[in-house]
Amino acid sequence: MFKLSTLLLAGAAATTFAAVPAVAQQKAPLSILRVIDADNYDPIRTTATAAAEVMYMLADTLVTVDFDMKTIKPGLADSWTISPDGLTYTFKIRKDVKFCDGRPMTIDDVVYSLKRWTDPTNKSPVSFRGGPVKDIRADGDSTLIYELKEPYSDLMFQLALSFASVVDKATVEKLGPNFGVQGFNGTGPYCWSKWTPRQELVLKKNPHYSWGPPIYKDPKPQIDEIVWKVIPESNTLMAAIQAKQADVTYYMPYIALDTMQRIPGMTVQRQENYIYDIFMGFKVDKPVSKDPVIREAVNMATDKQAIAKAIFFGKGQVLPSLLNPAVLDYDKDSAGKMPKHDPAGAIKLLDQAGWKPGADGIREKDGQRATFVVYGIRNDVNPRISEAMQADLRKVGIELKIQLWDATVAWGKLATQEFDAFYMAYPYVTATEALNLYFASRQAPTPNRMNWKDPKTDELLKAAATAVDADKRKQAIGAVQTQLTEANVWVPLASQPLWVVAGDRLEGVRAHGIYGAGLYKGGGLYTSDAADD
Amino acid sequence: MLRHTLQRLVLVLPVMLGVLLIGFLLMQVVPTDPAQVRAGPTATQDVVEAIRQELGLNQPLWKQFAIYIGRLAQGDLGVSIINNVPVTQELGNTIGPTLELMLASLIWAIPLGMFLGTVGAYYRGSLIDRAIMAFSVAGVSLPVFFLGLGLIWLFGFYYPILPFTGRTGPLWTWEGIQGIILPAVTLGGVFVGPVARMTRTSVLDELGADHVRTARAKGLGESTVVLRHTLRNALVPVVTLIGLQIGFLLGGAVVTETVFSWPGIGRLAVGAILSSDLPMAQGTIIMLSLGFILINLAVDVLYAVLDPRVRGT
Amino acid sequence: MSSPMKLERNALQPGAKTVEAAVSVAAATPVRRKTVLRMLLSDVGSCIALALVVLAILGAVFAPWLAPTDPFGNDLANTLKPPGEMGLLGTDGQGRDMITRLLYGLRTTLLMGSASVAFGCAIGGVIGFAAAFYPKISGVLMRFMDVLLSFPAILFGLAIAAIFGPGLLAVIIALSIATVPLMARVVRGSALVVLQQGYIEAARSLGLSDLRIILRYVLPNCLSAIFVFVTLRFGQVILLGAALSFLGLGAQPPTAELGAMAADGRNFLFFAPHVSVLPSLVIFAVVLAFNVLGDSLRDALDPKLRK
Repeated sequence: MFKLSTLLLAGAAATTFAAVPAVAQQKAPLSILRVIDADNYDPIRTTATAAAEVMYMLADTLVTVDFDMKTIKPGLADSWTISPDGLTYTFKIRKDVKFCDGRPMTIDDVVYSLKRWTDPTNKSPVSFRGGPVKDIRADGDSTLIYELKEPYSDLMFQLALSFASVVDKATVEKLGPNFGVQGFNGTGPYCWSKWTPRQELVLKKNPHYSWGPPIYKDPKPQIDEIVWKVIPESNTLMAAIQAKQADVTYYMPYIALDTMQRIPGMTVQRQENYIYDIFMGFKVDKPVSKDPVIREAVNMATDKQAIAKAIFFGKGQVLPSLLNPAVLDYDKDSAGKMPKHDPAGAIKLLDQAGWKPGADGIREKDGQRATFVVYGIRNDVNPRISEAMQADLRKVGIELKIQLWDATVAWGKLATQEFDAFYMAYPYVTATEALNLYFASRQAPTPNRMNWKDPKTDELLKAAATAVDADKRKQAIGAVQTQLTEANVWVPLASQPLWVVAGDRLEGVRAHGIYGAGLYKGGGLYTSDAADD
Repeated sequence: MLRHTLQRLVLVLPVMLGVLLIGFLLMQVVPTDPAQVRAGPTATQDVVEAIRQELGLNQPLWKQFAIYIGRLAQGDLGVSIINNVPVTQELGNTIGPTLELMLASLIWAIPLGMFLGTVGAYYRGSLIDRAIMAFSVAGVSLPVFFLGLGLIWLFGFYYPILPFTGRTGPLWTWEGIQGIILPAVTLGGVFVGPVARMTRTSVLDELGADHVRTARAKGLGESTVVLRHTLRNALVPVVTLIGLQIGFLLGGAVVTETVFSWPGIGRLAVGAILSSDLPMAQGTIIMLSLGFILINLAVDVLYAVLDPRVRGT
Repeated sequence: MSSPMKLERNALQPGAKTVEAAVSVAAATPVRRKTVLRMLLSDVGSCIALALVVLAILGAVFAPWLAPTDPFGNDLANTLKPPGEMGLLGTDGQGRDMITRLLYGLRTTLLMGSASVAFGCAIGGVIGFAAAFYPKISGVLMRFMDVLLSFPAILFGLAIAAIFGPGLLAVIIALSIATVPLMARVVRGSALVVLQQGYIEAARSLGLSDLRIILRYVLPNCLSAIFVFVTLRFGQVILLGAALSFLGLGAQPPTAELGAMAADGRNFLFFAPHVSVLPSLVIFAVVLAFNVLGDSLRDALDPKLRK
């Protein structure tokens, strides 16, 4: 299979030299390629990773996360303290920070931004991430107090996510619903220049910026202009990187990674600590998917190993359990309870439960056909994963109907009750975060699209979230993992790896990957042609 | 001349109104609730209801249509429900690149097609003629996206000499010209065949006509006969064809723009319809259809200029 | 796609009646079927085209018996195998045999094409005859056809997929609607010519009903024009269906459809080109065959070109 591509490569390498003078010009903007756009760039109005990956460049958060995806580092806050009862967080805010329009950032901007995020009246889909807020207030001109009603073990990490970005109050109020659409004003290393939806977003260097996170050697941005380009066709994206018409992407089709690695000067880098898992979730109150036997049979019939290997061309990892083994508080015992791939066992299980094969091979029970509808986003992996599962399930007499949606409508469709199961891929860092996000009953109908409403789960989730003691948290969240694994609410599929691919013009690339943002703040990046002059 | 133009204009008006009505109604049947999309998945029923009021979605259909036409007359096509950008502004941004692409496609496809057609007609029945006809029928049988992907593979990947990641600059710059070559070759490629065939047929007709025979009898050179006496009249059906094929060209443009990430109106239309952005979808559909009608009107007038025989009717 | 200019070229030009009438006269002239067939068979190109069309239809009809493997079963250990390495034509992204998928794809594609052309031509034909026969409603009907013609077929496909959801049904509806006005024009054009003939006057004076006149005298004399149109339209419809599939609006998995196969396979274009190239080539061959056949038919039926 790769013989041909090696051949192509030779041709490409031979002619690349001719292409360079035409394309790579002095100080040409850095172009980052991606496959979809966000519908807006207001930090609190979108959950899209397509928004987050740009937001980290446009704005800053109180704290940041290191490349290990675990260690919290300073951001807009120099230092912080947490009260022993876990209720009061005190942050010392830097005084040298300026917005893109040159205005110095004040403590009021920070209070305003965090309140805007957590205030339930703003109906932000991400406000719950701020935790059970009692009050957010300033103490003097550089101290911020973040007070909680009850402990919230995930708060520091949540404060590092783009949703908690600090924005300029005046710009938000001036632009109203068009904030993050027609303009933006943040304190990030790069400033909003021009957005053409579904095509490109142009950023310019923030000349004042010097307060970048200490995870980068040089906190100052090095590149004058960055263009985030949307290239929906994966072939076009791939060939553009290869032909050096663009500089960097982390949306390279997995099939192309080996070829890219063989191109001289190309950086191909994997972020080992990155967690972005794909699963299928069942609505547990729909005619077919409410039957635990069906859910267990689906888990047994799906050849996850083969899917992880074939769909990601050997670059993906199969998920052995509900959660990623790399995650904080991963529970090994409950992972052992996850059904193994066993189509014969699935058939036996279904037979015993009274699901008998019908005329066309699809099973039936009490006049109900074993068929269910799955929704998902039409991206480069879902069509292939779903088709593979469709074939696997057909072998045991279950019919899977696939309905994939364009990214822009998918979120709306995934908020309805029209489907029985859905595909989802999501970034997370701790078990408590992931399971609280998806399985708390208050999170229904979204993101708890499973409609999983269980008092015991709720109780354990709360215990884990409010635990001040690490062992207690691990125990509580471990119990949730066991409960959910036994109920087969999810079919965990694969862990989607993050690979950053960059051409030889770009230096200093290091894959980050927080909430899917492969380049994070773009710190350390510079282009070789710009450095020459 | 003027009368002819006015006549056509009067005939075109009801068609335009029909296009507007169908464009409007088509979008009414879409099962997605625009108020819900605008409000977002987490909005409460009150918020959705308020937005519905604001967008005038509670009014009876005919009233909504009347309001729509009234606004249209003032150049107001509403705002995108996704990002609040005025539809006219988006149309304005995207129509340029689409026109660019279409012009760049036609500018080489039409002359080449006419040349091939004339050669074919002149050497009628010969091997050259048959080869040209085979080439043109093959051209119209090729899926547009296949041609586009093939060109990307060849000139973007195997011999990476041309860009294909969208518009690279204004057409009057070297970068801009480079960037438009592959999309224009793709879109124009499916146009050469029809033009060649049409030209061939009408040149054949003309070669048998009396005035051509007369010209030949006068001892004029073959090239003069073909160029001066044949091609001018043969141009008439070709111009007509181009007008008609504009609709087809628009369809091809949608696919070509998708393959090459070209920031045109076709890609805007696809995106808007797939994301249930009703005002934007309506706007793009109406724009494309009206463009089609207007081009045909222009062709009709041009037709009369080229062929005086038509004017009387 | 665009070959039947001869039939379409004056579609929107009310002023250009001359050419339209010429085509209609040509097509409406009764021709003995044997002559046409003999003419077709005397041309090598038409012979090959005819053979290809027959082969495609046979392959599509007998796909379940011809296919070497299960069209829906996957084999993820053997995905994207090149031709020769596994099966004669290799495997696709799910490890399914390409020959099997191509046969089933052809089946769906031809079904989609036939359904669209059949529905479109049935409705368009009725409208065309009505417009030719009843001058009073002709203006309204044909203006309505003009409106339909003002929508590129791809836009129809997008809008209808938005209404019904993406799938074969949406494509068939869209392509049927896009076929209606073209068919109506062809039928009206040739019916108008037939209606001027003396025998129609005679039939009318005999007091035959309109429907009877249409079925007995007008329709048979328009058949050659319709036949040419249908043949050429078939190719166009398949191409348009492929384009709609490319935009993600066509047949949904696990259904095999050539356009969708070509579109899905494009993700592997640089690494396993056969997955996308083979269905594209089949589309190309089938459309080409229909176009060549349509052209030959038209030439055979056009007395002007025959001399």
